[in-house]
Amino acid sequence: MRKNDFDIIVVGAGHSGIEACLASARLGMKTLMVTTNLDRIGYMSCNPSIGGLAKGHMVREIDVLGGQMGIVADATCIQFKRLNATRGPAVRGSRVQNDKQLYSKMMTDLLFSTPNLSVKQGEVKRLILDGSTCVGVMLQDGSEIFSQSTIITTGTFMNGVMHMGDKQVSGGRVGDAASIGLSDQLKEFGFEVKRLKTGTPARLHKDSIDWSKTEIQNGDEKFFPFSFRSKSEYQLPQVACYLSRTTEQTHEIIRKNLDKSPMYCGIIEGVGPRYCPSIEDKVVRFADRISHQTFLEPEGLNTDLIYLQGISTSLPEDVQMEFLKTIPGLENVKVVRYGYAVEYDYIEPTQIWHRLETRPVENLFLAGQINGTSGYEEAAAQGFVAGVNAANKILGRAEFVLGRDQAYIGVLIDDLVTKGTREPYRMFTSRAEHRLILREDNTLDRLGEVGSELGIMGEESKNILSDLKNRRTNLLNGLRTTKIFPNAETQAKLAEIPTAVLLKSITFEELLRRPQIDSSHLPRLGFEITDGPNVTEPVEIEVKYSGYVKRQMDLIEQSKRLEEMRLEDDLEYKEIKGLSREEIEKLSRIKPRTLGQAQRISGVNPSAIQAIMIYLKGRKKLKELPVEQREERF
Amino acid sequence: MSHLRDRDQDTICAASTPPGVGGISVVRLSGPEAISVIRKVCDFVSDKPESHKALYGFLKSVDSKNDESIDEVIVTFFQKGRSFTSEDTFEISCHGSPVIVSEILKELVVGGARLADRGEFTYRAFMNGRLDLVQAESVLSLIESQSQQSSRQALRQLKGKLSEQLEVIESEIIWCLAHLEASIDFSTENLEIVATEEMVRRTDQVAQKLAKLVDSFKLGRVVKDGFKLVLTGVPNVGKSSLLNLLVQEDRAIVTDVPGTTRDLIEASFMADGIKVNLVDTAGLRQSEDRVEKIGIQRSYEAISDADGVFFVFDSSQALSEAELNELNSLPAHNTHLIGNKLDVGTASAAERAENLKKSLAHLTFFKNFELTGQSFLEKVHFVSALDEKSGERLKSVLSHDLKNQQFEDLAVISNSRHFENLSKAKENLERAQGLLTDSSGAEFIALEMKESLLFVQETLGKRFDDQVMDRVFKEFCIGK
Repeated sequence: MRKNDFDIIVVGAGHSGIEACLASARLGMKTLMVTTNLDRIGYMSCNPSIGGLAKGHMVREIDVLGGQMGIVADATCIQFKRLNATRGPAVRGSRVQNDKQLYSKMMTDLLFSTPNLSVKQGEVKRLILDGSTCVGVMLQDGSEIFSQSTIITTGTFMNGVMHMGDKQVSGGRVGDAASIGLSDQLKEFGFEVKRLKTGTPARLHKDSIDWSKTEIQNGDEKFFPFSFRSKSEYQLPQVACYLSRTTEQTHEIIRKNLDKSPMYCGIIEGVGPRYCPSIEDKVVRFADRISHQTFLEPEGLNTDLIYLQGISTSLPEDVQMEFLKTIPGLENVKVVRYGYAVEYDYIEPTQIWHRLETRPVENLFLAGQINGTSGYEEAAAQGFVAGVNAANKILGRAEFVLGRDQAYIGVLIDDLVTKGTREPYRMFTSRAEHRLILREDNTLDRLGEVGSELGIMGEESKNILSDLKNRRTNLLNGLRTTKIFPNAETQAKLAEIPTAVLLKSITFEELLRRPQIDSSHLPRLGFEITDGPNVTEPVEIEVKYSGYVKRQMDLIEQSKRLEEMRLEDDLEYKEIKGLSREEIEKLSRIKPRTLGQAQRISGVNPSAIQAIMIYLKGRKKLKELPVEQREERF
Repeated sequence: MSHLRDRDQDTICAASTPPGVGGISVVRLSGPEAISVIRKVCDFVSDKPESHKALYGFLKSVDSKNDESIDEVIVTFFQKGRSFTSEDTFEISCHGSPVIVSEILKELVVGGARLADRGEFTYRAFMNGRLDLVQAESVLSLIESQSQQSSRQALRQLKGKLSEQLEVIESEIIWCLAHLEASIDFSTENLEIVATEEMVRRTDQVAQKLAKLVDSFKLGRVVKDGFKLVLTGVPNVGKSSLLNLLVQEDRAIVTDVPGTTRDLIEASFMADGIKVNLVDTAGLRQSEDRVEKIGIQRSYEAISDADGVFFVFDSSQALSEAELNELNSLPAHNTHLIGNKLDVGTASAAERAENLKKSLAHLTFFKNFELTGQSFLEKVHFVSALDEKSGERLKSVLSHDLKNQQFEDLAVISNSRHFENLSKAKENLERAQGLLTDSSGAEFIALEMKESLLFVQETLGKRFDDQVMDRVFKEFCIGK
């Protein structure tokens, strides 16, 4: 009998790998992280920023479940903004700029000091299989490491090729080699492997920029940290970003040189993200726009590098230099590193279960960009889920799957395994059908309990969590039970706000529902609030939008019936009458967990859902009959 | 797993024509074994029959010892993929006798078929993708239609006219929703996805289309279930006599004692291809009599959901206080004033109309009436119950009302499930319109539009809901 060296091996040290390792180690699993470059742990390969619309939601979710990204993002924040602040609460998103070196360093230090976790530099060449079960990995030096489960989080590194003009270099990121061999082996195991591309813009030297020609963009004064465990004050000095715009000249140069872009002359086969297009894409697709905005973002406090947000490109260096100079402020720019595109292999994610274990190979988990996603937050969320599930499987615990009505993480994974993806998948608020209750502010109401029960968080975190929860409940109860009475004093104060005077006494909850009233008005009207915004804000939103929240809950309730109808993995779809060949093929391949999931598979029609339900009902009835009558009946 | 055979794999049969004696009856047989089953009773059918071709012969018992034929029949084969159910189907036209039909069904069952459940043929057509849900429902309407207009409407629906319109509405809501969502998720990209005015314009457009469909329900229901006409008026003005003229049979008890007609009487007749359901009421007067009070209460209810009201009065006398009171409780927009007893007295119809107008001028009813913008004289008619032609005259009043409605080009909803869903969809859109104009959060507008879309899709059967399906298919009768 072979002895396992580790319980769980995690291949890769990006945002996904980190969460996977930490979750696994914190659940008591003897864990090994293998990475090709120890200096690039938790490295921000693209923009030096975490969060954004829908992405900020996921960072908070990871945090409440016991993950790491939020805490470190808060600690290394050098600018914070709440996006969509003037819109409704469900579509606000927190976004931070980070000191990227510090982020990477903090993560590295944390990994090296986490019990049960070892980190090793090396390249995984092959997986070791016993039948169709993964039992370990083989490194480039031929050494073998055995484990119960393996999680692959290799990002853009599988057969990665970098493009810059007609130059092509093998690699997943500048300065790092690609991993070759792994995806060929996965193909041998029957995985469908496809190609995607992504790009990154040039990094500029800050001293070469004429800031006077740009527009300063300061962050928000008030900080709302991602983590419920973080302090609500900024921990680093805050810096400004700067806004500039491309000009018609810029576009002219790009148009003239399109034939030199590997995207446009056919060298890149991979599909790029429609939602985060390169500047070449923008110029072609939005031909009528004379200008595109770009943010000049510092990569940290102690670095000279400036990230040029929105201008990712794979044009040759000389063309990049030529068009950059046409952007106001960059006339004399010095480029430290030019932009490039990366093309890489990903695994069609309909081949994995919700728990992120693959269908073809047991005890093999995939997380992050390898599953076709884009973005640090999407990667971290999957890493966390894979880490928990790999551990839970060993511990004999139930699989950890979040619902679409519970978390964006649930939406993310369900979308991936149900629909697959043809372009890098980025999270949007519109992907969540229950958006109004998947808010940033109520993350701990949605997931606090789940987080506490997962067993990853320490007692201290759990206490903070339950304290916050109690405070919110108390505040809400206070609003519901305390009344405001119509007397001369209150009427005068109400008129001053201004809002309608009272006709009779009402509760503060009712008062707070008025559009003109917010929680800051309450103390002067006699309702003391001692809690900070992490308590008042979610309660206020809950009160103000209770009508919509209730309607959303009703919709969830309606969809529940189908979501609760479980489909067995070995269901023989070809036996069900009324399914088309295409439907049988898709259902058999994707193996939906529930009838609700089956309905979300594209190309599966409502009549097919009806047919499956009838089949299941018939079978259930049959099972209820005594054995001797079953034969008789059919 | 073979013992788990699905009932949907069965070959099913049923009589497709209503029970009873008629010229011919049609028995339908559908399913994978249809050919082998029919060949057991019709030896003149080959094992590869030609589709859509009628074959003539004698239908015999499965039991070969019994050589006596059951009936002389015409059998038409519809090949799989080209039939109503999309399965191999036979239609057996036999002589119209319940005995023969049940004999044939018995033989088909002995031959391996099973009797079909309620709505099972249509259910199969739906399951096999031949019909969408709206079309499936229209099959039911077509079969149940009691008038020409009603069957024409059902046929239009079956051809997909309503589905077509709903799909246009669906795609327009999707357009709005998609642009709204993009404006939320790309708000930081500094792109104007869609101008607010454009969004408002598009939303108004689709809301109007929905409103039109929702409004058509009343009309659609009239066409399908009939026009509900209520007769009212004080006792002894000749309501019951007029009713008899309209339906041409002695339905109501006609006496000279006021209050004889205590119960609501229902009768039907046809006007211009539309079925009219007539209700005679006890009138809306004050009464201390307990039984009468109940009748009066029912009159109020009948009037409130009537499509039209005939207020009958004695035109040879001035309107009484009671009559003026009653008129004030009547809906001005769909009430006709029917002056009976034109034969009594000497005043001409025109004079009577003038007098009537004067005596009504101060009434709330009349003021309400003026608000509807209709011509008063077109709403007042003088007849005599003694004149046989009065029945025709009153029918032409109804025809005029019905003709104002365009049946032909309009997609009309007549099914209460559609009405409920589309009304809700419309309410959602109206709320979205409100939110758009007071520039509320886009995500709330999106919720309204999303709900609206779900209701439209549910109507079309694009969104699966087992309760909806159950409801729809339960309405079908066997053999349809």
